[in-house]
Amino acid sequence: MSEKDAIERRRTVKYLLIHAVIILAAAICVYPLLRIFSVSLRPGDKLFSTDLSLIPDGATFKAYASLLKDTMFLRWLWNSLLITLATSFIGVSLASTAAYAFSRFRFPGKKAGLILLLSSQMIPAGMLILPLFLMIMKLKLMNTYLGMIIAYSVSSLPFSIWILKGYYDTIPRSLEEAALVDGTSQVGAFWRIILPLSTPALSIAFLFNFTTAWNEYLVARVVLFSSKQYTWTLGLFELQGQYITQWGMFAAGSMLVTIPVLAVFLYSSKWLISGLTLGSVKG
Amino acid sequence: MDILRSIYEVTGFIVLIALGVAALEGYFYYHFKFHDRSWFFPAALLAFPALALAVSAAVTGGFQPRLWSWFLMAELLVLAGFKYAVKGRHTVPYLLLAPAFVGLALLLVYPFVFEVYLSFHDLKLTTIMMWKNTGKIPFAGLDQYVKVFTTSPLSEVSFWALLGRTLLWTFSNVFFHVAGGFALALLLNNAIRFKGFYRTLLVIPWAMPQVVAVLAMRGEFHSQNGFVNIILSKLTAAFPFLASMGIGPVQWLSDYPLLTCTIINVWLGIPFMMVVILGGLQSISSSYYDAADIDGASYFQKLRFITLPLIKPVLMPAVTLGTVWTFNNINVIYLVTGQAGGTEQADILVSALYKAAFTYNRYSYSAAFAIVVFALLFFISVTYLHGFDAAKEER
Repeated sequence: MSEKDAIERRRTVKYLLIHAVIILAAAICVYPLLRIFSVSLRPGDKLFSTDLSLIPDGATFKAYASLLKDTMFLRWLWNSLLITLATSFIGVSLASTAAYAFSRFRFPGKKAGLILLLSSQMIPAGMLILPLFLMIMKLKLMNTYLGMIIAYSVSSLPFSIWILKGYYDTIPRSLEEAALVDGTSQVGAFWRIILPLSTPALSIAFLFNFTTAWNEYLVARVVLFSSKQYTWTLGLFELQGQYITQWGMFAAGSMLVTIPVLAVFLYSSKWLISGLTLGSVKG
Repeated sequence: MDILRSIYEVTGFIVLIALGVAALEGYFYYHFKFHDRSWFFPAALLAFPALALAVSAAVTGGFQPRLWSWFLMAELLVLAGFKYAVKGRHTVPYLLLAPAFVGLALLLVYPFVFEVYLSFHDLKLTTIMMWKNTGKIPFAGLDQYVKVFTTSPLSEVSFWALLGRTLLWTFSNVFFHVAGGFALALLLNNAIRFKGFYRTLLVIPWAMPQVVAVLAMRGEFHSQNGFVNIILSKLTAAFPFLASMGIGPVQWLSDYPLLTCTIINVWLGIPFMMVVILGGLQSISSSYYDAADIDGASYFQKLRFITLPLIKPVLMPAVTLGTVWTFNNINVIYLVTGQAGGTEQADILVSALYKAAFTYNRYSYSAAFAIVVFALLFFISVTYLHGFDAAKEER
């Protein structure tokens, strides 16, 4: 009986220990976010206190108000949104047809094409910034939305094609064959049957394109130079660059940007992860 | 007004792309009916690009001859390719692939080739105006490559120092990512309460926009107002013996920039590894562990002989990806050290090449540097993948 008790006690200790370690790790993961939140609530004269409490004394939303009023934060968000939506739209529409070809047809160069897609992921992203920058300069598209869209539009294409191909592979061929027998063309079958069926995968590809472009910083840094055209990433960096004065506004802006992104990510993470591990599970 | 114009600009481009796609798809659609009519090909050649030109000029209100001529040429090339090179049964897949591959060719392959071209020429701040106006750059041969190995890309640090630092950075980051991710995944894989909730909290660093995450962490390492130093000074105040051991607030950003970047990047990277490994762990059938329990295996024996071999197929691709990502990580380092007056003690190869191009305006030098880095990465990946394949054969 006492032996059973000992085992029971050991199990409880182990259980508590696991919880303790995980809670510690979770605290480390979440704390910076909470601290941004707390800084964003601080009144202007206490920005630099070494206070660690979560809700500071005299918490106000003044930083948010002045961020929206005194800076071009809304304009930056708008710029980002416009560039990102256009990029994702182009990316997904290009990927959807290409993935269909890879999934349903056998043709010379198929394997080479897939390998090319994978190996393009090997090229350091930082390496292509310079030639893209020069191309955009030469096309006189510096500081424009169009230049940014051109620079972004294919960056997540290989990954999107890969995800969509994996999804198309799971749709039974007999569906299209039935449609073909009923007299539609190959394009009709793709448009009316495959695309509606693969809405989940399309939305994942869209989300992936969206987050990549939404969070991008390095290309925007060199292509956009007037603060009116900035994306929010540049704007935030600017605010934090003038470290001394704008710390509260930086925190407020971070919160406003992070919360929707976080919500979307957590909502979609299940599918995103299954997309990431698709290749490895099959191989 | 500005906003209206921005919408025009963007819709113009979307219409352009959509037209390109529609032209190709339309060609394909009518291909079944018209492909043997002799007038169809010349008509397509003329009509679609002209239509695209007219509409996009009308929508954007401007006419940019160079851009349109490139577009026209690309379309001609595609159409000609389909007419003469690709015939018969394979037309459909090639046409479906065409838009994506044209995009990749223009925005991925062409820039790459352009970079190689740049690396053999001399484009810098003094020659860039000339290039802008006339399109000519002085030829430099292998000079830039020689300079990569002999002069500093920034102001003092040399190529070899950067290489060493990059390897150290990559190795330590990937090691901590995998170790941390593995540990957390093992803990989470137990039958515990609030598992989903914990998992959600633990992926937050990955889910936050990277710019926000890095800038916020950078703030936490600030010498006076940062969380890390506040905690350190509170600790030393409470336990004086720690101070006598030399522990105390530190100028993180100026004295230990590389360490700071590494800590930040480890914090950022663990969740991804944790999620991937957790997925692998959950797919292992519990019957293996039951069998091992009957045979009396210890915890570490089970870990070594069951868990590790079984998650290897999931772990290896993740580690490969992680290595390439870490090697190429400009974001963290640039955001931490990239401001005016920032240090260069934390720079790795890729961030140095970014700074050489855009802080120091040495374009051709940076191009040559990029080619060298690419060759290096290529070599590493090929050897690695080769080893990976060999290991696969063995199994």
